[in-house]
Amino acid sequence: MEWTAVSAARKALVTGASAGLGRAFAERLAAGGHAVTGIDRDAAGADVPFDHLLCDLADPGAVDALIAELAARGPFDRVILNAGISATGRFETIPPEAHARLLAVNTEAPMVLTAGLAAAGALGRGGRLIFVSSLSHFTGYPGAASYGASKDALAAYARSIRKPFEKAFGVSVSVACPGPLRTDHAARHAPEGTDAKKRMPPDEAARRILADAERGRAMITPGSGAAMFALLGRLAPGPVTSAMKRIIYDKLDRSVF
Amino acid sequence: MTGARRRIVITGGTSGIGLELVRRLSGRHDILVAGRREDADALPVLPDGVRYVHAPLTDPEAATQAIAEAILKAGWVKLDNLVLNAGTGFAVDGGIETAGQIRDTLAVNLTASALLARALFPWLDKAGGTLTFVGSVAYKGQGLFPAYAASKAGLHGLARALRAEWAGRVAVQVVHPGPTRTEMHQKAGHDPGRLRTIFIPAYSMAAMLEGVIAARRSPVTLSFGRYWTGGAAWSGRL
Repeated sequence: MEWTAVSAARKALVTGASAGLGRAFAERLAAGGHAVTGIDRDAAGADVPFDHLLCDLADPGAVDALIAELAARGPFDRVILNAGISATGRFETIPPEAHARLLAVNTEAPMVLTAGLAAAGALGRGGRLIFVSSLSHFTGYPGAASYGASKDALAAYARSIRKPFEKAFGVSVSVACPGPLRTDHAARHAPEGTDAKKRMPPDEAARRILADAERGRAMITPGSGAAMFALLGRLAPGPVTSAMKRIIYDKLDRSVF
Repeated sequence: MTGARRRIVITGGTSGIGLELVRRLSGRHDILVAGRREDADALPVLPDGVRYVHAPLTDPEAATQAIAEAILKAGWVKLDNLVLNAGTGFAVDGGIETAGQIRDTLAVNLTASALLARALFPWLDKAGGTLTFVGSVAYKGQGLFPAYAASKAGLHGLARALRAEWAGRVAVQVVHPGPTRTEMHQKAGHDPGRLRTIFIPAYSMAAMLEGVIAARRSPVTLSFGRYWTGGAAWSGRL
């Protein structure tokens, strides 16, 4: 599909925009002059500098309706599929509904949204499409098995569509794999006693990810710590997964989903 | 030769690699096959003595319940092997699948696998059994069928985590077959053309898969390297 006209105001779409990294993306893009549409199950507050739509991304019917709404608002020059939920605990102790819901929100929804927007011609030519995966993509994630699986799946989806989307829409597709962030989400799922100060502030992660996406990078690991961990995970996935088990799984004191 | 009779559940066992695996194992072990075909279509395909449960994985919750009930009905209190082999996918142009194609692919390949692993863990735990996720070499990314590639990457990640979580109790592995001469490509709407002639025969892939299941290693890629070096012959038996 060819675009002959580019709308004057550049438009951006961010899922999971009510808090954390998604909120940081939405605010940063709005500050940079984008007309931002945020999506979340939760409200974002009255004074946010972007337009916020409520949608439960675990609900296939709601996602289908959302695509129709977004198609009318597009085309979007920056699309960030950021929304994600977690489920931490021993895999077999987490209810099946929680695993299914997680896979629906973290994997199915961003894929269906992406394909739906692409099919509707709602991706702006020359734009950027960013999938927020996780640093766990470079290792195993005992204690968050379905979360790790959902983020591995999303990263593979992004890699799969990178060439076809570049060819068809001139859109550059990136995967971002941030490490632990200083967000409420991380605090809720981290083992007791971990130090939040060691985590990267979400705005810094958003800045680094957006900058790397502008350069067209396929894989983004924001920060030197994340890059080092990714390298270690690539070189020695077995030992790194064992270390993850000692650091996270063996310290789990509760299940959170 | 190996010893004891094993109790084995295989999903997607009515065609392709799954059916070839069932054929190899059915004489020596007790097999329960789960599939999407109705009983009347599935039973004539399966070797004598193999149990069958109709459980379409497009509905992961319902299928998990049906399979768990079939295990109870068979009177099995332990499970030595769970082979999550069922898979589906759709070949598309430009990397754009429909919502229905994405949802079906993820439901069958990923969500159902996660829910089955969770539901059948107590049976596997009692036997000190082995859980095998059948992935695909496409798990690293593949523009022709993005959702399929994504689902298989999800299995890779799930296996890595569960192998660590269940270490010492249940062996968890992911095995990534390369291009295999099954009906999958045709079902997916993709014609590999003359390339298909070099694809690995399904019975050879099943032989290599059996060997990897017996060895309990993970992750393992089963492709041309192993096949051309006689992998179907030298792979061990379960």
